[in-house]
Amino acid sequence: MLAIEGLSKRFGGVQAVQRVDLQVRQNEILGLIGPNGSGKSTIVNLVTGVYAPTEGRVRLRARDITGWAPHRVLAAGIGRTFQSIRLFGGLTVWQNLWVARQAQAGAGRLRGWLAVDRAGMKRIEATLEFCRLLDRRDELARNLAFGEQRRLELARTLTADPEVVLLDEPAAGMNVAEIEELRDRILTLKQRGKTIVLIEHHMELVMEVAERVAVLNFGEKIAEGPPARVQDDERVREAYLGKRRD
Amino acid sequence: MSDYFVSLLIRIGIEAFVALSAYLLLLMGRMSFGQQGFFVIGAYAAGLATALYGMPLLPGVALGALVAALGGALFAGPMAAPRGLAFAAGSLAFGELVRVALLDLYFQGQVGPDLIGPAGPDGFRGIRALFTSGVSVTTYAVGIWLALGVTLLATAFFLRSRWGEALRMIGEDEEAAATVGLPVRRVKVSALAGAGGLAGLGGGLFAHYATYVEPGHADVMLGVHSLAYAFIGGLGTPLGPIIGVALDIGFLESFRFLAGYRMIIFGGLVMGLLIVRPRGLLDEVAVHRLSRFLMRGRR
Repeated sequence: MLAIEGLSKRFGGVQAVQRVDLQVRQNEILGLIGPNGSGKSTIVNLVTGVYAPTEGRVRLRARDITGWAPHRVLAAGIGRTFQSIRLFGGLTVWQNLWVARQAQAGAGRLRGWLAVDRAGMKRIEATLEFCRLLDRRDELARNLAFGEQRRLELARTLTADPEVVLLDEPAAGMNVAEIEELRDRILTLKQRGKTIVLIEHHMELVMEVAERVAVLNFGEKIAEGPPARVQDDERVREAYLGKRRD
Repeated sequence: MSDYFVSLLIRIGIEAFVALSAYLLLLMGRMSFGQQGFFVIGAYAAGLATALYGMPLLPGVALGALVAALGGALFAGPMAAPRGLAFAAGSLAFGELVRVALLDLYFQGQVGPDLIGPAGPDGFRGIRALFTSGVSVTTYAVGIWLALGVTLLATAFFLRSRWGEALRMIGEDEEAAATVGLPVRRVKVSALAGAGGLAGLGGGLFAHYATYVEPGHADVMLGVHSLAYAFIGGLGTPLGPIIGVALDIGFLESFRFLAGYRMIIFGGLVMGLLIVRPRGLLDEVAVHRLSRFLMRGRR
């Protein structure tokens, strides 16, 4: 579905990502883990066109989407959320989704400009319902509680109905109840046919939902496989806990 | 109407176009100190069209706006990407660049007995299309305000469309806007061109009223004022910048006893307001509340 081939990114003297290969299969949940600064978010940014890779290719199905601008990557079917929440704070909950929907519809066409997008409104309503935000629809995004903001960010990504969803630390800062809700939501998304890449520090969540896990350390992939096996991998333990001193 | 009142109305109307252009860019998170550059580009281009090439008044002014819009699109080449201080500095440099370039622009032609056209630091005299067309100054003032009204309505409509949403999205968070699917660069280039066109429209209208433009009209204070107008009136509605202009020119300058103190009061007003209401009198929150309040009555 989504193939990352020999992807590298260098920022000045820092090698943020080094020749990473990663295959994401259709309708799977792939966990992408690794210590801070291991290159997880950089990979998301490379895939979604925020940065252009120094080397390597990104393919979605048969299409080479390497270096595409973010809006084209989304149109091709890859949506994402941000590690630090990035909403349009001055807009209401509903408007946040509406502007996303409008942006996706393409800017210039006059007919689309004047027509009322009823299908879009329906879709927004359904997405808000799914993310449990319907009763907050007229609230300004910046006035929402933290957990609600996270849900709104996910909702905004989902309005585009992307096939592949990249979730960049969606559980960061959430409490136990919120994480459980998030887990259910991720599993529902899978049931609905989405392919999901979950970048997360919260191990329990990753181990519960991911079918496969890839581990990054210093920009390189050091392990890949089913959660249980990866957890027991010596190199992974070293990356997280440090080397044994004996 | 007294001549003084009419001239005041004309000045407010003309500067309102420049203020609107600065306002559009502010919505997009860009603080431009260079809109005066587009103002004079429009003024010179419209003046050349009518005075040198005999175009009628209206098409001439429209052409001036178009040339300024084109200038805006070219300006967007290097300046679409930078934001914050880099954009502010770049736009300031652009405004100065235009002014200095005009000091060296000599392009005169024989029209009847006179030599007409830009003459470097001496400016561009003899833009008489308004007066030879027989339109009275009062009619011109009404015309300017009609044009301003139409522009305001169009801007308000535009800002409620997905274009306006796109501007605000870019103003709030460019990466997020791109990620939710907005063709960010295309929107920025269009906005810079549109803002250039608005300032240029003001310039063309000014040139024909004053019959004369000079490089000095691209003084940076025009740009600074137009920014201040948007900030005073508020970023929540396109009426904001007009309120700002009216407050400054209409109120402060028309009271003769304030003469000499105007800039002091104006400066103080801007400072005070930016502390209390950083996004102006009619900011987004105020407009949001107001529209919610008005909608409640309808539901």
